[in-house]
Amino acid sequence: MVPVYICDDEQPVREQLRKIVSGQIMILGSDMGPVRAMGTPEELLELQRQDTVPAIYFLDIDFPGQTSGLSLAQKLRRYDPRGFIIFITAHGDLAFETFRLRLEALDYIVKGGFDAMSLRVRDCLSSIQDRLRDEPSGQGRYCTLKLFDTVRHIPVDDILYFEALGYKHALRLHMVGELLEFNSSLDHFEGQLGEGFWRCHRGFLVNRSHIRLVRLKEQIVELDTGGECPLSRKAKAAYRAQERKEALKGG
Amino acid sequence: MGLLFRLSVVVFVYLVFGLAMFWLSVGIVGKKVKAVPFLLYTACSGVANFLAVYSVAGLYTGETLWSYIIDLAYSLVIYSIEAAALGLVIRKCYKIPFLHGMTAAMLSHFIIYTTNSVVAGAASTYSPLFDRMYIYTFITLVIPALWALFVAFLAAYVLRRSGFYRYFEALFSSRAKTALIVGVSFMLMFVWTAMSWFFPNEEPNALYAVFYFSLIAVVLLWVQFMAMYTAGEEKILVQQETIAQQQAHMELLEELQQEIRAFRHDVSNLFCGLALQAQEGDLEGIQQFMKKTSSYFDEKLGNEIRQMDCLNNIKIYPVRSLLTTKLALMRQKHIQGTLEVLHLVAEKQAVDTPDLLRGLGILIDNAIEAVPEKEGQIRIVLLQEEKELYIAVVNNYAAEPNLNALSAKGYTTKGTGRGTGLSSYRKILSRYPGCIARTYLKDGFFVQELRAPT
Repeated sequence: MVPVYICDDEQPVREQLRKIVSGQIMILGSDMGPVRAMGTPEELLELQRQDTVPAIYFLDIDFPGQTSGLSLAQKLRRYDPRGFIIFITAHGDLAFETFRLRLEALDYIVKGGFDAMSLRVRDCLSSIQDRLRDEPSGQGRYCTLKLFDTVRHIPVDDILYFEALGYKHALRLHMVGELLEFNSSLDHFEGQLGEGFWRCHRGFLVNRSHIRLVRLKEQIVELDTGGECPLSRKAKAAYRAQERKEALKGG
Repeated sequence: MGLLFRLSVVVFVYLVFGLAMFWLSVGIVGKKVKAVPFLLYTACSGVANFLAVYSVAGLYTGETLWSYIIDLAYSLVIYSIEAAALGLVIRKCYKIPFLHGMTAAMLSHFIIYTTNSVVAGAASTYSPLFDRMYIYTFITLVIPALWALFVAFLAAYVLRRSGFYRYFEALFSSRAKTALIVGVSFMLMFVWTAMSWFFPNEEPNALYAVFYFSLIAVVLLWVQFMAMYTAGEEKILVQQETIAQQQAHMELLEELQQEIRAFRHDVSNLFCGLALQAQEGDLEGIQQFMKKTSSYFDEKLGNEIRQMDCLNNIKIYPVRSLLTTKLALMRQKHIQGTLEVLHLVAEKQAVDTPDLLRGLGILIDNAIEAVPEKEGQIRIVLLQEEKELYIAVVNNYAAEPNLNALSAKGYTTKGTGRGTGLSSYRKILSRYPGCIARTYLKDGFFVQELRAPT
């Protein structure tokens, strides 16, 4: 079950939304619920800890008081990095791009008539359903990265290779559809990720499961995404030795 | 004279020269004198000198021409090695580009060795012959070295007080200028060698000393003037750019004013009609009118006003002008540009403003280049948080960018020779170790993110 939270300080909006969401879940027949509505961010943060993640959050964007929708969402994200956040707003001119990028918010719903809101909620929920279905059930391994005060969990399968950049302690992480540059060391990740990764060069740590072929002559490791890593002479020798050993075993 | 005495004099003189060279070079680049780099440099130059002397000593014969050539070759090699060593040490310990450090070293070399040689020449000519060699050594070796050290201290003090290091960097702003200053410094290093070659029997007198010391003064003045001149030139360029950006801002304001005028005209017309309807008691008509016009204001002016609000949130004025200019450029190219700045962006950031400007400029220029010709969209997000500044530039694209190729040097979708942007962006980032750069594709948009500590 995927818990659903609705946080809005206006009682009527809260109730209306609760009705809509419950109804739509029934229609979709998905395993979402229970639907809980609350008026303050503190209540939500407490309840979040008691139930499972990932969860679905409908958040009012402009809370009166200290906690804005943005910082509330950031706190929720810290505990539930894969949850689904949908913002509720009174006016259409909210800065959604910021929320979409920074918090990976899914969508936003403009407060208004029952029908219009229902339509929007249905779209959101069915897209969440699709995503939950497509997502691997969390069995795969994750690689944790600490970036400033947030921790990011990257599925190991998405990682192609790490590349050390020329300057001190800077790494570039090549993923499927993403590049990330940050400060760390290859040794750290070689230790963390273990066997599944191969240090094919002093400055490269490559995911074995993404290697298409190793071209020994040109000293290049070719990846299934079309990228290439260099192969050092030392790694080449080690690779050859390994090959021979396996041939002996097989023979 | 005992071997121990000779050795200790040699070591002492080396140390004094090393200190003088180091002190003055560090003064030129405007950094604090530290013990470790000094010792590192002295050790390097000591070893190099020792090896050079050892290898050259055997080559000297009675022939004058031959020994001159050896002399010249010797100084060519050893001086360059010394300057390069100091340049390397400065690069390693102070994070200053190698050429800057080496130029500083060459200039210091010129000043110190010229001073030393002039004083040493005078001392050896005028000092009476003692039967005790100790005093003679002291006068001809130690005093000139100490004198050179004193001059180095003095020059470094003057350069520091005048804030010379601020201008020094400007000397390397273009390739031609770099070549000029490096070349001149290199030649200056050999002035003394060349002079003693051309006029081997020159008697050191007052005129001679005056010539050399005024040469030093003239060179120092010339370098300082050159540096200040180039720095001034650059300042003018920056100011011109600021003026252009402010002009763009003014244009935006004017446009907004025009629209408000048109809007006022519309509204007064609409209200005339409304008043008529009210008189007739046409309630339904009025309701319909309200429905139609409620979003009218938002559509007409909302976008501009929102953009202005966002711009006003940025307290780094140069960044504000940059964004204004870029947004104006997007409007010109019929690209739909949006800016979102939710919170105030503090003026003080860990990334220096010029670097922030260049980095952001590159990201936006890339986005402008990549959008499809029709219905291009660019969104720029700046978000100040407690510990970081979050920047994102998002654009849609005509051809899906290839992330593999993107990380390679000089990638661009628009033919060769235009992809220098991203590599210089990387170069800028490399100076700020805390930065996190992320590039990814999301829902048909290309996203470039930068998270910089504040």
